[in-house]
Amino acid sequence: MSIRFGDQLIAVLPRLRRFARGLTGSAVEADDLVQAACERALARQHQFQEGTRFDSWMFRIVQTIWIDQVRSRDVRKESGEVAEERMGSDEAVRRVEARLALDEVRRAVHRLPPDQRTALLLVTVDGLSYKETAEIVGVPVGTIMSRLARARIALQLQLEAGGGMRRSSDNAAAQ
Amino acid sequence: MQQRSDDRLIAYLDGEVDVPERREIEAWLDNDPAARDKLAALAESAALVRSAFDEVMHEPLPDRLIAAARGETVSVEPSAKIVPFRRGQGARGAPTARSWWLGLPLAASLCGLLLGGAVAYLSVAKLLPGGLGGKQPAVEMAAADNLWLDNAVGYFKLAASAGDGALVDVPATGDAREAWQKISQSLPQPQEVRWPELNLQPWGLNFRGARLVVADGRPAAQLMYTTDNKAIGPLTLIIGSSKEPDAPPTLARRQDVNLLYWRHQGRAYALVGQTDVGYLWGIANDVAWQLDAI
Repeated sequence: MSIRFGDQLIAVLPRLRRFARGLTGSAVEADDLVQAACERALARQHQFQEGTRFDSWMFRIVQTIWIDQVRSRDVRKESGEVAEERMGSDEAVRRVEARLALDEVRRAVHRLPPDQRTALLLVTVDGLSYKETAEIVGVPVGTIMSRLARARIALQLQLEAGGGMRRSSDNAAAQ
Repeated sequence: MQQRSDDRLIAYLDGEVDVPERREIEAWLDNDPAARDKLAALAESAALVRSAFDEVMHEPLPDRLIAAARGETVSVEPSAKIVPFRRGQGARGAPTARSWWLGLPLAASLCGLLLGGAVAYLSVAKLLPGGLGGKQPAVEMAAADNLWLDNAVGYFKLAASAGDGALVDVPATGDAREAWQKISQSLPQPQEVRWPELNLQPWGLNFRGARLVVADGRPAAQLMYTTDNKAIGPLTLIIGSSKEPDAPPTLARRQDVNLLYWRHQGRAYALVGQTDVGYLWGIANDVAWQLDAI
């Protein structure tokens, strides 16, 4: 392995972890996903084209592995996780209001369909352009635009319904 | 129709519309309070989403991911034990079993401060503008690294044990730019270390001050940081010169101290502390990025 390749990989790790955290909704699963992406990238580093964006290449690998995992996921396990999450949420609200507002946002993101979630994380969270995101996901720019719009509207409705935006504003004012 | 207007507003918010369309949307916003409200709500929710995932960026990188990125299959060496900083511990001088080493960095530092530091601070840059490194006989790289790193650890321990009483040439308060420039000029290489662009406050690290030190016979800058976060503890960044080729970040340990050091374009860097390697990697990435030393 070239040292340069490993350095590039380490430099992009924080962003990959953030992306993976948003995709999976779990810190442990996210790091598992990033680790798998690192291993795949190292095994296929000869496929990376010098002069192209390394971060985009890595985002694409993370997204591809995650899509594979989503497709093979056990539906029963997924239902159980959601139920458990709901049971704990009210208690958490009472404990740490500010923390919960962000937890609520993360949960709202996690409820989005996978394709919308991916677009939202790459554009809104990581700040990539529609074109870059389209290249990573492998769809036309118009599709990204449409997915993003649906994600943003759905998210906004969820947050307004749950009071997340109001609470967050209150917390910001309190600080 | 509604979907179309939402698409346009969101694309406008994301800066993804061309100039004619932007003007058109802005004219629409001027005349439609409901659209303005919607835009504001969309902007707020976007900011919330970014905040919700921002903390991941400040977490230390797990050892397993660093190892995976480097293609290492062996387990990473366990991190140094975190020893909460006790102010004034070194000054008490209690003859405990573990206090003996405190004398070494203190003595080394006093020598460095009185002989190397003062001389170098005042005259090395003028007398030897090309730096000392080029006139030294070539030495085996690892050995040179070891001496340099030993010095770095000594200076870290001195700063940690002195706490608020640590001697600094550049205080964290007041206008320290001029003094910093003197230190920077004492380092060989014309490229100065920028001030005050190295900001580690996102890690909870507060700049305590800087001083000129001598590492492996060459002047170096020591930047000291403190924090209330006991998981990180005080940190020192040493920036010196090097004639050796660039080298990627490498982890080293000295007793209970971790170091992450690297070389880039004639400069040697060492981030030293008692925090775990995950934090060190994260902070070192940040330092390298901010100083354009990656």
